[in-house]
Amino acid sequence: MLEIKNLHVTVGGKEILKGLNLTINDGEVHAIMGPNGAGKSTLSYALCGKDGYEVTQGSITYNGKNLMDMDPNERAGEGLFLGFQYPVEIPGVSNMNFLRSALNSQRRYRGEDEIAAVDFLKLIRAKAAELDMDPEMLKRPVNVGFSGGEKKRNEMVQMAVLDPSLAVLDETDSGLDIDALKIVATGINRLRSPDKSILMITHYQRLLDYVVPDYVHILAAGQIVKTGGKELALELEEKGYMGLGITESAA
Amino acid sequence: MTQKRYFDTPQIAAGFEAVRQSLPGVESDGFDGLRGDAMSKYLDSGLPGPKVEEWKYTNLNFLANENFDIATVSPQETEIKELFEKARVKGLSGPLLVFVNGHYYKPLSTSVDQKGIKLSLLSDNIQSFRDGMAVSDGDSSLNNLNRALVTDGYHLEIAPNVEMKQPMQVIHMATSGTDMTAMRHRVQIMAGTGAKAEIIESYIGADQERYWTHGVTDVMLEQGADVTIYQFQTQGRQAIHMTELHSHVADKARFSHISLQLGAEINRTELINSFTGENADIELRGAYLGRNKQSQDIFTRINHDQPNCQSNQLYRGVLDAGGKSAFQGKVIVARDAQKTNADQSNKNLLLSRKAEANAKPELLIYADDVKCSHGTTVGELDPDQLFYLRSRGMDEVTAKGLLVEAFVAEVFDGIADENLRTAFKEKTARWLAHEVTP
Repeated sequence: MLEIKNLHVTVGGKEILKGLNLTINDGEVHAIMGPNGAGKSTLSYALCGKDGYEVTQGSITYNGKNLMDMDPNERAGEGLFLGFQYPVEIPGVSNMNFLRSALNSQRRYRGEDEIAAVDFLKLIRAKAAELDMDPEMLKRPVNVGFSGGEKKRNEMVQMAVLDPSLAVLDETDSGLDIDALKIVATGINRLRSPDKSILMITHYQRLLDYVVPDYVHILAAGQIVKTGGKELALELEEKGYMGLGITESAA
Repeated sequence: MTQKRYFDTPQIAAGFEAVRQSLPGVESDGFDGLRGDAMSKYLDSGLPGPKVEEWKYTNLNFLANENFDIATVSPQETEIKELFEKARVKGLSGPLLVFVNGHYYKPLSTSVDQKGIKLSLLSDNIQSFRDGMAVSDGDSSLNNLNRALVTDGYHLEIAPNVEMKQPMQVIHMATSGTDMTAMRHRVQIMAGTGAKAEIIESYIGADQERYWTHGVTDVMLEQGADVTIYQFQTQGRQAIHMTELHSHVADKARFSHISLQLGAEINRTELINSFTGENADIELRGAYLGRNKQSQDIFTRINHDQPNCQSNQLYRGVLDAGGKSAFQGKVIVARDAQKTNADQSNKNLLLSRKAEANAKPELLIYADDVKCSHGTTVGELDPDQLFYLRSRGMDEVTAKGLLVEAFVAEVFDGIADENLRTAFKEKTARWLAHEVTP
């Protein structure tokens, strides 16, 4: 269970999140929507512990542990996964090598043995196949020369291999054509299970047609200003932020 | 003394006279005379000081006061065996040639039994060595010092159209007990027309000793010959490592030098290359890594005196806290060397604000129809890449290691032999993981 209480986050001296509260129970899928500049990406980076995202007030706890005291890799070891809006290119490091190193790092953190090379190969090939990734792409350097859709697919393959208990997906659907969007949705739906939680941050309602959330929140000016069921996303689609009485400087 | 561009080292002259009678070849007039002449030349010029442009980044002033005696073998078999196992590239079955403290070490060496390949030692065959030394054109003061005091080395001849079946591994090691001693070797490699050979050269030594390894190599490639030297410089942490290589590359010949420099406190590696024919290739690639008072100084020169030749240089430097490096790469394209193609790339990664990387590319082009390029960068790890890796669970050391390995991988990726390629990458990884002897 993820509990965020009265979270204030400052970036470059400017306060972006201004008292955000959010609780996600095991098995739940939440969606956060909001206008540009509301603080959506700031929330995902603060959750994952990126440098420069300073928590000035409030708390983030995951399964009873204080996440804020942890390095990004420790948070990953605790089961957190961030799907990047803009996945980073890593020249010279193959997808395979990258994922093996990541998976074994997490296993070491949890006091587990490293995965045997043969088992890893089986695992990664199976997950790539489930998400229609060409096995040749596993040998290529991470995200280098990948199209926007291929990068997002790669995020989903990483997520499937690392098998997190809490996935935070930061606009994973942005800039995707319908085929790529379906792949991403498949990746998210495959993760969905009673002991896992998912937080989708998105601009558009269309991803929610494929991954139906339990809760929809609207984030504006650094706070959650409205919470509802999946119908809230449809209402927002129809009326817009203005129609719901939300302006960018609101709250 | 510090005002002089070159400085005197009178203790070296005295040391030379003291050991002269015990040096190999003393009974052969010609060789002893050659040593004497070289010593006079050395003493005339002295050692280069920091005001000599080429030596700006390696200060040899300490040699004016410190006295390095000639090293003698102290056969501690277990230590020799241990260093040998660390240095040897596994999985290769070619001939082995081991030098311990500057002298040939027979118990771990094997002979070359392939028709058309002749290997002789300086200590065994003064005649062939003296002939080889006569064609050696290096005339720097350090080269002359080496000529005067050299104790051993080898002379390798590959007959025309003979291809060495397996790479030959040469290991130069310094054991404990070598503190304040110098070991000087000389190597001559003569590749006949169409001959092909690969040589793996490894340097290793005891971490607690301040020893001075000083080697000079001359490589002569006849028409269409193909020679590659792979070098692992994993010297002890207090070592002084100086090597000077001269290559002469004839028509359609190809010379490659691929190195990993991660040992020694002071490393000065010089690669001086000349084309003597057309349509020939020279490729120099290397990675140098330094931290904690280490200084890696790589000096290359390519003399494009002939038209239609290609040279390619690719160097990557990684410097951590207290490490310092210099890459000085000079390419000289003579007026008649039309259709020259010369590329040079040098990138450096600083892992700490307390690290220093110097880069000095120099292109002197006197021909007008050439393609020459050079690129130099000094940068830090990309924080976005680092965060991406860490968000996937890698701790900072693992994430940085992966990025640095990727940065230097370009140097070694093209090596066809998997054992060799793996050895380069593993030694790099062990250095990054702060292992004592990579």
